[in-house]
Amino acid sequence: MRQLLKTFKVAFQAINKNRTRSLLTMLGIIIGVGAVIMTISAGEGATQQVQDQISGLGTNLLIIQVKEERRGGISVRKGKELTKKDYEILRDNSVWLEKVSPMIVSGGNAITSQGNKTTIIYGVSEDYFSIMSRDVDLGEAFSELDVQLAKQVCLVGKTIKDELFGGESPVGRTLRIDKVPFTVVGLLEEQGQVGMGGDQDDLVVAPYTTVQNRLAGSTNFNVFMASAVTEDKIDDAEVEVTDLLRESHKMLSNQEDDFEITTQVELNEITGEITGILTILLGAVASISLLVGGIGIMNIMLVSVTERTREIGTRLALGARESDILTQFLIEAITLSAAGGILGIAFGIIGNQIIYKATDFYIPTAGYAIAIGFGFAALIGVAFGYFPARKAARLNPIDALRYE
Amino acid sequence: MSDKKKVIETKKIGRIFKNGEIEVHALTGVDLVIEEGEFVAIMGSSGSGKSTLLNILGCLDKPTSGEYYLDGVHVNSLDKNQLADIRNQKIGFIFQSYNLLSRTSALENVELPLVYDRTGRFSNPKEMAKKALEQVGLGHRIDHKTNELSGGQQQRVAIARALVNDPALILADEATGNLDSKTSIDIADLFVRLNNAGKTILMITHEPEIAQFAKRIVTFRDGRVLTDEIIENRSTKESALRDLEATAQ
Repeated sequence: MRQLLKTFKVAFQAINKNRTRSLLTMLGIIIGVGAVIMTISAGEGATQQVQDQISGLGTNLLIIQVKEERRGGISVRKGKELTKKDYEILRDNSVWLEKVSPMIVSGGNAITSQGNKTTIIYGVSEDYFSIMSRDVDLGEAFSELDVQLAKQVCLVGKTIKDELFGGESPVGRTLRIDKVPFTVVGLLEEQGQVGMGGDQDDLVVAPYTTVQNRLAGSTNFNVFMASAVTEDKIDDAEVEVTDLLRESHKMLSNQEDDFEITTQVELNEITGEITGILTILLGAVASISLLVGGIGIMNIMLVSVTERTREIGTRLALGARESDILTQFLIEAITLSAAGGILGIAFGIIGNQIIYKATDFYIPTAGYAIAIGFGFAALIGVAFGYFPARKAARLNPIDALRYE
Repeated sequence: MSDKKKVIETKKIGRIFKNGEIEVHALTGVDLVIEEGEFVAIMGSSGSGKSTLLNILGCLDKPTSGEYYLDGVHVNSLDKNQLADIRNQKIGFIFQSYNLLSRTSALENVELPLVYDRTGRFSNPKEMAKKALEQVGLGHRIDHKTNELSGGQQQRVAIARALVNDPALILADEATGNLDSKTSIDIADLFVRLNNAGKTILMITHEPEIAQFAKRIVTFRDGRVLTDEIIENRSTKESALRDLEATAQ
C-alpha cells in the first residue's frame, strides 16, 4: 500500500515533467470524447426538435388518407377516393372527433406583380386552422361562409410574403394562382424549417370548395385532417372513423380498409425511428473518432516507453520491481485518459453551446453520451496503456540501461 | 588476508552467451573476493568481460556457472523481485552517462532509490537525499534541475544517488568516461574520500590514470583474471593534477 502511494507520486511526477507529451496524449482522447458527446447530442437534439414540431401540430391529430401502394416508386391509389359525402358523415355523425377538415392538395404557380413562385395550395375547411394549431398573424382565417360560397380568398405563409410581397403585409392584396385571382385575407404564423429541410411556410391555404372548382377540377379529396375531442380519445376516434368510413364505402366485413388513418402517436413513432437511425449513425462516426484517439494514445504510449527505455533501465537498476514499473505506467495512462476524458466532456458541452449560439439549433447535452464517451476513454486508456506498460516492465535492465 | 567482512565473493563464476549455435564464453572461472573498505579498479580492453562481470556483481545478470555471494547473500538462488530488492538495498550504481531523470531536480533524483525501498528503514528520504548531496559537495544545488548542471555536477548527483541508501557496495561503470581530464580527477578524488569514509567501491575503467587512485587493480583478459595487484604508489588529486600539467606542456 505504501509502495502504491509512492508509485502514484512517481507517476504524477512523470506526467508533470513531460507536459507536452502528456498534453499530446490527452489530445486524442479530448477530441474523441468531445466528438462523441457533440454528435450524439446533435442526434438527440434533432430528434427532440422534430418531435416538438410534430406535437406542435396538435397531439390529438388524426390523418385519414386514401390507401396507396408503392409500385416501383410510384404511388398508386388502391381504394376509393375520399368524397364530400365521407366528409359530411364524419363531420355530422362522429362522437369522438372534435373537428374535421377535408384537404385537397394542389401544386400551382403563385403570381403577384412582384414575381412568381411554384408553391403548394391546400384546399381546406375553416376548421383546418384549429385542427393543425396554425395561428394567423395578420388578417384572419376565412369563414364557413367563405367555404360555402367558394370565395376566392386565401392565406399565405411567410415565404410567400417574403418572396411575392416584398416582405410587406399581403393582407388585402391579390395573388393569382395560375389564372385564378385570390384575395389574401391573412398571413399564417411562421413555422420554420422541418428537421429534414422542408419549408413549412411555403404554402397557400384556400377554401377547399374554391380549390376544387377553380384549380383541381376534382370533387374528391386526398386527405382528411381531424382532431379527437381529447388526446386519450384518439384510439376511440380511430375506431369510430374506421366504422363510419367502411359503412360509407359499403365494404364487406372480409374486405380490407381502403383508407389509412395515422395518428399523432404513430407519427411520433415513425419520426422516432428515423431520428434514432440518425443518432446511431452519428454515434458510429463519433466512435470512429474515439477509436482513432485511442490508437493515438496507444502510439504515444509505445513511443514514450521506447523514449523512456533508459529511464526504465535506471529505475530497474536502482531496485524497482517489474510491478513497480507496470503500475507506474498504468497510473500514467489511466490518469491521462481520465483527465483527457474530463476535458473532452468540457469540450463537448462547450461545443454544443457554441453551436447553439451560432445556429440557434439547441443541443441538449445527453447524459448517456457523456457516460459513453468517458467510459470509452477510460477503457482505451487502460487497454492501450497496459500493453506498452507491460513491455516496459519486462525489459531486461541491462538492455534498457544501454539503450541509446 | 584478514577476517574482514567479505562484500563480494565469487567462486569460479562463468557466463556463457548463446547466440544460436555459437557459444561465447564471456567469463570463465572468475574467483574474486572484495572485502569491506576496499577500493578496487577493474581494467581490461573491451571484450575482456569486465562489463559482464559488473552486470553479475550488480545483480542485473546471473552467472551460468559458479557461486556468487553479495554481502553474505547467495545471489544465485534469488528470483527477479529479490534481485530488484537486493540491488535496492546493497548496491549503489554509477553509470558512465549518469542516467539521471531529466527535467527533475537533483534532490528528486537522489531520492529515487528510496522510492523503491520496501524495508521501511528510511524515515526521512528528503533529509537523507540532502545529506548525500552535501557529501558530494552539491549541498547548494539541491533544487537545480539535472539539465541545469554540468557533466561533473551531474555525475556527483549520480554518486549521491548511489550513496543515499547506504549500500554495501558502490559500483561505478566508467564513471569518468564522459568527463574531461580535470573533472575526472575530481570524481576519482571524491571516490577516494568516500572510500576513506568507509565505503567499499568497485569501479570499472579503461583509464590507467584513474585506476591509479584505487587501492587494488584487477585486470581482465578474455574473460579471466589476468593480474590482481595492490597499488603501491596511489595517485592523489595533487599528483594527478601535476601529471596532467606536465603532459600538457
